[in-house]
Amino acid sequence: MSTGTPPLPNPPAKPQVKSLHCPQCGTAITLRSFQQAVTVVCESCHCILDAKDPTLKILQQFQAIIGELPPMIPLGTRGKLRGTDYEVIGFQRRSIESEGVRYDWHEYLLFNPYKGFRYLSEYQGHWNDITVCKDLPIVRSGFVPNANYLGETYRHFQTAQAETGYVIGEFPWQVRVGERATVTDYVRPPRVLSCEQSAGETTWSVGEYRYPQEIWKAFNLKGQPPEPVGVFENQPAPATVSVKQAWLAFLLLTVFLLGLMAFNDMVASKDPVFNGSYRLASGPAKGEASFVTDVFELKGRSSNVEVKTNANVFNSWIYLNYALINQDTGQAWDFGREVSYYSGYDSDGHWTEGSHKDTVIVPSVPPGHYYLRIEPEADARHPEITYTVSVRRGVPVLKFYGYALLALFLPVLYVTFKSISFERARWAESDHPILQTESD
Amino acid sequence: MFSPLYLLYGFMVLSFVGMAEYRGWSTDTMNEVRNIPRSIRDNPGAYRSIYSSYHHYTGGK
Amino acid sequence: MTRPIANCPNCGAKVVFQWSSSVQTVCTYCKSILVRTDVDLKKVGEVADLPPDSSPIQLNTEGIYHNKAFVVGGRILYEYEQGGWNEWHIVMNDGASAWLSDAQDEYAVSFAVTGQALPAASQVQIEQQYIWNNQSYTVTVITEAHYKGVEGELPFQYWDKTDVTFVDLRSQTGKFGTLDYSDDQPALYVGEFVDFDDLKFKNLRQFEGWS
Repeated sequence: MSTGTPPLPNPPAKPQVKSLHCPQCGTAITLRSFQQAVTVVCESCHCILDAKDPTLKILQQFQAIIGELPPMIPLGTRGKLRGTDYEVIGFQRRSIESEGVRYDWHEYLLFNPYKGFRYLSEYQGHWNDITVCKDLPIVRSGFVPNANYLGETYRHFQTAQAETGYVIGEFPWQVRVGERATVTDYVRPPRVLSCEQSAGETTWSVGEYRYPQEIWKAFNLKGQPPEPVGVFENQPAPATVSVKQAWLAFLLLTVFLLGLMAFNDMVASKDPVFNGSYRLASGPAKGEASFVTDVFELKGRSSNVEVKTNANVFNSWIYLNYALINQDTGQAWDFGREVSYYSGYDSDGHWTEGSHKDTVIVPSVPPGHYYLRIEPEADARHPEITYTVSVRRGVPVLKFYGYALLALFLPVLYVTFKSISFERARWAESDHPILQTESD
Repeated sequence: MFSPLYLLYGFMVLSFVGMAEYRGWSTDTMNEVRNIPRSIRDNPGAYRSIYSSYHHYTGGK
Repeated sequence: MTRPIANCPNCGAKVVFQWSSSVQTVCTYCKSILVRTDVDLKKVGEVADLPPDSSPIQLNTEGIYHNKAFVVGGRILYEYEQGGWNEWHIVMNDGASAWLSDAQDEYAVSFAVTGQALPAASQVQIEQQYIWNNQSYTVTVITEAHYKGVEGELPFQYWDKTDVTFVDLRSQTGKFGTLDYSDDQPALYVGEFVDFDDLKFKNLRQFEGWS
């Protein structure tokens, strides 16, 4: 469609990177952003110059402290972010002060002649990829203020006074060392909304957390990136499973467990196969104490046998040597059970110890004809004790359900604990260091 | 997404419980002995229990 | 659509109007600002050399906005305290005129809106709200800008302005508005911000060192 325009007498030259000289010290100055620079800093003498002025008027000269760290990504480095090449053209060190401690962070200004500007911020090894917001977030005040941007709610993290401590490179706005701005951050990991207010101007930007390896790869930097320290405000939680999902899965499994328990209770035979009452005379044993019960039949498949002992001991004990013997195969299960019960009064009041009952489960007993051989023992000075022995075939063992619940619960507990301590660490640095949970 | 690892683990736990209940397992201290002669029915005293005189004293409080 | 061809009254060079809706253009040879009347072309002024700028857009850059193709026909350059920006006059493929503003590589497309009650320049204050076409707009920035020059074809006469007041407004639905006080009567433009990628530009300017 674009034809017919006459050829221009002097076609405009391709915009070139400009090379100028600092009026103060003569050092060469490179302008990389094709007339977009408003200020540019001379690296040697730390003069901030007016980039729009052909004579590069000096706007401010600042002192650079010894030991000022150079930018980790040198000026002029190009990297690919979100599919676009950007060049680092400016760098700032800014800081806030909290309880007498100064916290520095660094901002890298990135430029692409077509796409414009982006920022990378770095704080203690944590990186963020930042761009200016096109839509205005809506701020809601309250106990914990929040901001809504593009339909998502961000929680207030921190408001602080930021001061610029060091600048190099070029910027499309006025920069001065020592200038202050009020910075308010709202977080919704992995994103952060930052509101910067200074001299009546408000700028909102939105950032997304980046891992150091991503930055190193994007800019082809040598060596290893510095390890991030602590948890950063919008750092995404490392768990691949959310706590909510874990608890839901736990509940689902618990429902199944309960279902299994109910099912088992229904299908278990709980067959009472034997019941006997006995008396152990007082005084020392006279003659043979052991005896055998009548034979009873255990039906069905191989399953458990429950032997319940109930004795009317009072401040004494009875010990029963049991043997469940298969009359035909001669296989036996040998076990001993104690029933003891004590009670009394002391300085704390009434106390009891022990129980009148004892239950034991004999495992995996094949079907057949069985009897019990019982040998009771008691304290030499015991009174007469009466006791009953009840045997049931095929009972549910509730203990296993308890163990299973614990086994299901422990991983969820672990994940929850890790998440809580991560979020605690995140919010510890904020204006609201009380426990907050990450909203999904 | 639910962690498939946790669900698999949970399934295994449930299977274990189902197996334990089906096979009639128990955690109680037990001793299996074999070849108990039939004569024990007439003479229970001849049976040597491992646990005889193996009681632990629990005094009062 | 015939392309009127005339001769520049100042230097005689051939002047072409690509769009029938264009009222003004700049002679590429002698930089005279030419206004089209029913009869002929009239020279109304001259454009000084345009300040170098870094917009990737140039005359005859093409793009697509909301599925409609457009071509860049002309521009007005402004400068203000914090830099400068371009208002590119773009012509949609249905002949409608729109404005593509380009400030520090932030792009926005807006259309002229008529028939609304507009406040006088002295009445406008930051944070004030106005309702046009059932949308609420809040004043965000008031800018004093200097007109720096024109280039190409424009749908109205625009030249030799000195200081111009612009009022930026934002709505909460991503729209923005501009009150233009260049003329005696304020003019309202309403539009939205657009991403560079969404405009699918072709025939952009080339920058040294960048592909």
